[in-house]
Amino acid sequence: MKPEKKEILSASHLVLPLSQSESLLKFESNTDEEIWNAFDKGNELAFNYIYRVHVKAMFRYGSQITCDSGLIKDCVQNIFIQLRDKRGSLSSVSHIKGYLFKSLHREIIRKLKKETKFGRDGLHQKETYFPITMSQESILIQREKDEEMRQEVRKALKALTARQRQAILLLYEEGMSYKEIANVMEFSEVKSARKIIYRGLATLKGILKKS
Amino acid sequence: MRYKDYDTIDFLSDEFFIQWVKMPDKNTRHFWEKWMQQHPEKRETVLEAASIIRSVKYAHSFEVSDEMYVESFENIIKAGKQKKTGDEPKMGSWFSFFPLRNIAAIAILCFCGWMVHHHMIEGVEPIKPVVAEEITVFRSVPPGKRSLITLADSSRVYLNSGSEIEYPKAFSQGDRWVRLKGEAFFEVRKNGYPFSVFARSTEIKVLGTSFNVKEGHTNLSIALLSGKVQVNDQKGNQVQLNPAEMLAIEEDGKFSKTGFDPLEVTGWKDKILVFRSASFNEVKAKIENWYGVDLKLVGNVSENWKYSGIYKDENLENVLRGICITSGWQYKIANRNITLYNPK
Repeated sequence: MKPEKKEILSASHLVLPLSQSESLLKFESNTDEEIWNAFDKGNELAFNYIYRVHVKAMFRYGSQITCDSGLIKDCVQNIFIQLRDKRGSLSSVSHIKGYLFKSLHREIIRKLKKETKFGRDGLHQKETYFPITMSQESILIQREKDEEMRQEVRKALKALTARQRQAILLLYEEGMSYKEIANVMEFSEVKSARKIIYRGLATLKGILKKS
Repeated sequence: MRYKDYDTIDFLSDEFFIQWVKMPDKNTRHFWEKWMQQHPEKRETVLEAASIIRSVKYAHSFEVSDEMYVESFENIIKAGKQKKTGDEPKMGSWFSFFPLRNIAAIAILCFCGWMVHHHMIEGVEPIKPVVAEEITVFRSVPPGKRSLITLADSSRVYLNSGSEIEYPKAFSQGDRWVRLKGEAFFEVRKNGYPFSVFARSTEIKVLGTSFNVKEGHTNLSIALLSGKVQVNDQKGNQVQLNPAEMLAIEEDGKFSKTGFDPLEVTGWKDKILVFRSASFNEVKAKIENWYGVDLKLVGNVSENWKYSGIYKDENLENVLRGICITSGWQYKIANRNITLYNPK
């Protein structure tokens, strides 16, 4: 309960003023649409806010597609540089995170294709995108400690397609709605997002039944 | 379809349900807690779905280093600058915006905050009495009994069998702490001042929440029902808990987070004795503590023996009867000594 200790602790995070900054205070209660409009109009605080709130999630999302962190970094930077260039004529965005994810996904694939000379092994790699795990937290795995059960879980997870894994991760890890998932995965209908998740979960049902 | 007709997959794909599991707020928490009370038969399904949702993770973790974070930001701003070579004086240079100005501003803010905090504490209470001189109150509960203690700030502490707490007599605004041995469930009243529970070498810090703290043989577990708690261990680690999360801290300082079944963990405060796939030793320890008796088994118990059962405010004999019927055993009660017989 010593106040000194506490303040020193937060001072060490000063390099990354993620939690206490002007831009956060200013935009916290705004909708994504309003923030995006402000950014489009050249408001630097709005850009600062967008970067702070979303850049970590972007890096994490990118790393589910490629392990090349240098490449992810280039892509993240490119996206923001292009967006800043186009300020004044940006189209409106109602869900910033989803929009950035979608852009990042495209950008990474574009770069990967270039690097692997027009996607020679691109098709094979695609199946490894968005690997998923089920942590020990799961009651199922905790109760049933034997190796057999773990094998089952691994098998079921393997049976999911990359797109199913992507959709499930967006739903659970990123907390996105079906509408947002449809947008990120470039489905024209929300229905398709529901469908892909339902199919994925049905595959996982195998694990549930056996427990 | 109504929620009562949902199966696991339906819950797993329901946005409102996921929202409660991942980012509970007042609205979702209120609804789902009430709903579970009304549909106890769905409890297992709901908890299973929640634990699956919580367990799904990205297989690759990726932490952005501080350098990468700052460098990327600089690169983005610089790239724009190079294109429009210095034709906009009103924008100022990039570093005036980030990060120097912010650092300075926050450093000043922190300093002011510290000054105010420091000054206020020193100003209002000139010299704080040393903890050792503080007059404290001890309360303990013997095995077989449970009790409810209401503190001066109207926070409530349910104390489980064989547990004890210590707290300052002048349990007031700035000085809300409890030292715990054993197990207790806390309902902390929010009054703007922190409330700390010390157990083992761990401090659990809260504002207004309800949570269960249990000292096991080798570990300490903290289960959060509502609100938010922060746990500080001896090594200076800090862990935040969200509702429906349970933190277990082992003797060697290792800790892990899991989900939990509220009934199993906190049922005791409502006089509900819960066995969930419990081993014989768990059953024995629970009964001994719950009823304040000694229990022994004559005969062997197989390693796969597990017992599940829920008893609400039930007497010892009924519990023993329940266990013996499902296991094909017999029991004998002689005062405080219980003997179970396995004829096989």
